[in-house]
Amino acid sequence: MSTEVSRPTRPGTPSSPPALRPERRVPRVFYLMVLPALALFAVFHTVPLLTGMFFSLTNYAGYGEWSFVGLRNYVNLFGDDRIYGAYGFTFLFAIVSTVAVNIIALSIAIALNGRIRFKTGFRGIFFIPNILSILIVGYVFNYLFSNSVPAIADALGITSLTTSILASPDTAWIGVVILSVWQAAAFNIIIYLAGLQTIPTELYEAAALDGASPWKQFTSITFPMIGAFFTINMVLSLKNFLQVFDQIVSLTAGGPGTSTESISLLIYRGGFQGGEYGYQTANAVIYLFVIIAISFIQLRVLQRREASF
Amino acid sequence: MKLPHGPATRALRYVAGGASLALVLSGCTAQDDVVTLDFFQFKPEAVANFAAIIDEFEAANPGIRVVQNHVPDADTAIRTLLVKDKTPDVLTLNTNGRYGELAKACVFADLSDLPVVEQVRPAVRDIVEDLGSCDDGEVNAVPFSSNASGILYNRDLFAQYGVEVPTTWDELLAAARTFEAAGVTPFYTTVKDAWTMGPAFVNLGGALQPEDFFDRLRAEGSDVASGEVSFSKDYPEAMEKLTTLYGFGQDGAAGRDYNAGNAAFAAGESAMYMQGSYAIPAIRAVNPDVNIGSFPYPATNSPEETVVVSGVDVGVSIGRDTEHPEEARRFVEFLMSPEVVERYAQEQSAFSPLATAADSTDPALAGLAPYFEDNRIIGFIDHQLPASLPLPQYLQELVLGGRTEDFLATMDREWSKIAARTIPNEKD
Repeated sequence: MSTEVSRPTRPGTPSSPPALRPERRVPRVFYLMVLPALALFAVFHTVPLLTGMFFSLTNYAGYGEWSFVGLRNYVNLFGDDRIYGAYGFTFLFAIVSTVAVNIIALSIAIALNGRIRFKTGFRGIFFIPNILSILIVGYVFNYLFSNSVPAIADALGITSLTTSILASPDTAWIGVVILSVWQAAAFNIIIYLAGLQTIPTELYEAAALDGASPWKQFTSITFPMIGAFFTINMVLSLKNFLQVFDQIVSLTAGGPGTSTESISLLIYRGGFQGGEYGYQTANAVIYLFVIIAISFIQLRVLQRREASF
Repeated sequence: MKLPHGPATRALRYVAGGASLALVLSGCTAQDDVVTLDFFQFKPEAVANFAAIIDEFEAANPGIRVVQNHVPDADTAIRTLLVKDKTPDVLTLNTNGRYGELAKACVFADLSDLPVVEQVRPAVRDIVEDLGSCDDGEVNAVPFSSNASGILYNRDLFAQYGVEVPTTWDELLAAARTFEAAGVTPFYTTVKDAWTMGPAFVNLGGALQPEDFFDRLRAEGSDVASGEVSFSKDYPEAMEKLTTLYGFGQDGAAGRDYNAGNAAFAAGESAMYMQGSYAIPAIRAVNPDVNIGSFPYPATNSPEETVVVSGVDVGVSIGRDTEHPEEARRFVEFLMSPEVVERYAQEQSAFSPLATAADSTDPALAGLAPYFEDNRIIGFIDHQLPASLPLPQYLQELVLGGRTEDFLATMDREWSKIAARTIPNEKD
């Protein structure tokens, strides 16, 4: 990235006079504008991050005395099956939710981009979940899953739904997926809508003249043209779902048992409630690198697909 | 994490002190040297009780102002305060395993020279001492109120179906079967809230485990599998009995929480309820006329072995580094005066931990009170488990249809792992 920025703006004049050197003209004010943000980022993000990494090398409980333990926290992490369980749940949840949210958001975005009545009104309505607090929505869904859905199922005679899906370790994760997808779809719809509006209508007119079916138009025009938006939605939603926390706190609190315990929840519980601050910080450091690696790989793969078009 | 105690901090403190003094003066209160105590109060049900106590204290001690802070999830909140080095001056905590960990980390002041410590029942004092303290012989929390865990029952339903209060395990099963046959739910169970399985666990486990189980388990360290005691070896009976009792629960228990349970028991929907004395105020809040009785878990068929599980519901501590130790002590002494302790015990259906206290007169506690007064009590065994072991979650899995062997194996495995990764500090 940086090489592109510092490249001379006029490639035809590499040996231009000193007065026209691009570095001299703007930079200082730019640096001044970036500086406050950089300082805030360093103080509130980088410093805590490094402090956390430091404490992952100690037996700190969050209070009291501590001493250095080297890499023993990291070694112990690899023998902890509770952490493997949390990884299993988190990845299952994140992958299912990412696929579901992108299919649903793209379908709704296409519908909202078509010539329908009350288009603006619908766009507003579909954006509402994004501005609601996840915790509040979570408690509402908790009530719906625990009381309303079983009551309705009872009245309709659907026996498989008469007990709350949150009450069984095998189905509770589905409840978390439903809440998360409902809440996250709103933001993805907006991004897809923005993408859909960049496609020139002439392409569709030409395709219609050639007799292309709507499905053919979707696979050959719409989807390839919004490739960049698809990439960013996939990367952002997977990353967000891997960090799932509020949804679980409000819906299942990790239960029943430990069946919906995500990695973030485990870190919070063990670190702040369980007095294993150092150990769970080590877990968090590893998870940070896992998420960075996944996002990086995902970006590379998806961008290559974009480029091939 | 600690601020340096350099001249800069001191100067800052004077400035802050001056500013607050100026505020007081400009407020025309004309009171010099009013000391404000930061009082961390963990029990949401008791906010009004403590507010009244504080009013009386402030009236008697014009130079001291007490600010009550109460938060949801106090165990987490106190830890975040400690991380920030903002230990409250005076605090109440549920005297549980987490309290023990904080006490061992030397967060609380030593109160062993307070005269009131001598007036506390020896058995209650032992329960607190077993949780640990900063140094041998230190007292880091004074018990303010005690609870007792047993089985609550609906006296009217017992009379209606002619069931006697069970004193043995077989009688308990027979009583449950009688109610089941009559179409009355024997136990209202609240499996959605994982912690509500804890009381049955501590009662059955505490009564049936071998002597000094946890001391021996701790001595084994991470080598539980080949050790002499383990959950797999010593807990099958307790867990079988626990799942048997939960088998008598109502339909749809997996979707019911503690609040729903209190409401249902208050409405007479079940004959018995596996909760302790602390649930009584909440049940009465729903239906003041419910006729509650209580009895201890008859874990075996010999009534003379029956004990009551009792914990210190509220313990009072002082922050080790408080700037107002004198005032804090005066407040704690006021809190621990017999009138205050006994009035609180009455209002909250709790037991007074003071040896001089009159016997409890609450009819709901009548079945448990004799055990308490005879010192036939044991502590909550879950307070002996490390806080990072998610016992409630594992109990929930078991009750929802898990296998006892899996539960016990998980407990052993988690215990070993935590023992292996807990690296003690060098003692200095």
